[in-house]
Amino acid sequence: MTTTSLQAPPSGRPDGLLRARPDGWGTAVTVALAWLILIAASSLHSSDFFSHQTVLAVTFTMAITGVLAVGESLVALSGGILDLSLPTALVLPAYLTTVLLDHHVPTAAVVLLALLVGALWGALNATIIVFGKLNPIIVTLATNFAGLAALFLIFQAAQTPQASGIRQFGKGYFLGLPNIWWPMVVLIVVVGLLIPRTRYGRRMTAVGGNAGAAKARGISLPRTRYAVFIASGVCGGLAGLIFAASNASFTPNEGAAFLLPVLAAVILAGISLQGGRGNLLLLLLSVGFLSTVPTSLVFFGLNSDWQIVFQGLILIIAVSIDGHRQRSARA
Amino acid sequence: MRRVGRGPGRRVLSLVAVTAAASVTLAACGGGSTSSGSSDGSKTLTIGMAVGGQPDVDWQKAQGDVARALAKQRGWNYIELSNNGDAPTATKNVDTFIQKKVDAVIEFNGQPSVNPVMAKKLAAAKIPTITYDIAQQGWYFVGIDNKAAGEAGGKALGEIAKSKWNCDVDLVLSAEGKAAGPVNEARTGGMRTGLKSVCPDIPSDKYVSFESNGQVSVAQPAARDALAAHPQAKKILVVGINDSGVVGALQAAEQLGRADQIIGWGQDGSLITGANVNPHLAGSVFYFLESYPTYTFEQILDKIAAGQAPPVKDTGEDPAVKIQPCPVSAAEAAKVPGTSERVAQLAKAPKGKTALDLFCPAQSG
Repeated sequence: MTTTSLQAPPSGRPDGLLRARPDGWGTAVTVALAWLILIAASSLHSSDFFSHQTVLAVTFTMAITGVLAVGESLVALSGGILDLSLPTALVLPAYLTTVLLDHHVPTAAVVLLALLVGALWGALNATIIVFGKLNPIIVTLATNFAGLAALFLIFQAAQTPQASGIRQFGKGYFLGLPNIWWPMVVLIVVVGLLIPRTRYGRRMTAVGGNAGAAKARGISLPRTRYAVFIASGVCGGLAGLIFAASNASFTPNEGAAFLLPVLAAVILAGISLQGGRGNLLLLLLSVGFLSTVPTSLVFFGLNSDWQIVFQGLILIIAVSIDGHRQRSARA
Repeated sequence: MRRVGRGPGRRVLSLVAVTAAASVTLAACGGGSTSSGSSDGSKTLTIGMAVGGQPDVDWQKAQGDVARALAKQRGWNYIELSNNGDAPTATKNVDTFIQKKVDAVIEFNGQPSVNPVMAKKLAAAKIPTITYDIAQQGWYFVGIDNKAAGEAGGKALGEIAKSKWNCDVDLVLSAEGKAAGPVNEARTGGMRTGLKSVCPDIPSDKYVSFESNGQVSVAQPAARDALAAHPQAKKILVVGINDSGVVGALQAAEQLGRADQIIGWGQDGSLITGANVNPHLAGSVFYFLESYPTYTFEQILDKIAAGQAPPVKDTGEDPAVKIQPCPVSAAEAAKVPGTSERVAQLAKAPKGKTALDLFCPAQSG
């Protein structure tokens, strides 16, 4: 697996601004080991665990979380810290998808419009952040509240037409795995490979590592912020499409359940919330591991309350590791 | 140097103007009937209605719509406030009702922790209060018989299991919504009881619960995991707190390629009508929650207006009005009109006609 990513230089060292070096092997090995141990323990406890049914259960769970995690990772990598408007970014295009399908809009146009509305959502966040010079966390928290409130005014429950192509796609398989899993894999691999290999990706990471130094090198911070939030919004649009494809019925507040797993996946993948460091390819491991946890717990006979406890614990451990990394980097 | 002389003054004036404009707009948009007089000589009441106010729950708004129409029919005054699913708001609304000197209050408060405080204030003001589905000492209790609703659904599902599989069932999934507390226990427990009344020999270890939170998107992954943990199960039944929880499990089975091995029966009727009904959802139980005001007006408020207030019955076991559920198969559900149509029909229904009479296929034919 390619694990090259950008390591932004410590502050005050613009000479190393665009220097790339291998990063993330340690994290990759740690998460992969944890995942393997989880699978092994679950299989030893119950031989049924090692089955195609389990693989399907885990891969379905991975799909939406993984796509949203890519958008969140881009924001984190660029120093935006977090985009907390994910629930609205997910449900808004999902709702649009159902409305367009109800009006028999062709599937290709539905896909494009869902991605477009996701991009517009990201642009709205970026506009408020850039022109208001405001903290992205506060802004996205506020836009999420406002967006959800607006969605509640528009609809109480949405249904994806059963016979629509998108719904059929959401139920289907390719190579024995869910159709909706593949866009997530392609997105993570493509974005993960492009970031350290393109000028845009390197600039984005550089802004996250040291905004002042990046600015001194002529990188436009507002333009970067716009690009990152629009890209995050597009990921929300794609996730919304997948959500509509795999959920025949949903209400406006059903996006909230994804926020915690997405944040946990990003942090567990070693993507620094302070920006400038991380390898998006590791999301495949972190999302896979986190999606296996609830399935394993069921095999161990633990109920959903324990699943939330475990997710919270994993998040605390991941944040602690991230904090340790930050302190080590400063030392 | 900055000018500071006129700026704040203008801002204050602007603020006053905006506030005044907003007040006028709110007053224009606000509810409240001003009609007076009653044709039958009984007292003209002013009713305070506190709707639940959860934005994703259409029946909560519908309860207000029906109550408003019924008050208008009687020439009564009507004041509607929203609890916004929020305890402090619910408490503040009670203060408003007391200030407005309403004659009776109808409450759906989804945050019942503050009900005792609200009850104390309303009792001090001597305002009779009706509560929907959540019991409070001293308030008339109007509610669905959740246990009967569960048992009816479970029995109907059991009949299907008996005819299709001779009750030889491998797995019974139960989509719980623990946050609903006793309502969850009554509904899902009732469904299991109803199922056992038809298929008593399903072993207890075949019953597996998962948390659905009453949402498809929560139920679906949880049910996926539960199904994955029972790969040998080929004859699967699903019961649950509501249609969303059950449909989440049905969709999970679809995703795992096991759609033809599963049958579900829901509660609340929210996903059993329309063009996108899951083909494996065999039926559901309607409560017609929007019709609660019909019972409230006819069995409680009309009597209060006539000076013959009924005795306060404030528990689920001995309620002032116990509303009977309406189990429907998927085929029967097609005859039940949607919520907005039901609200319209209830608003103009003659006295004595309940939602069961009007909409329940088993009773209305």
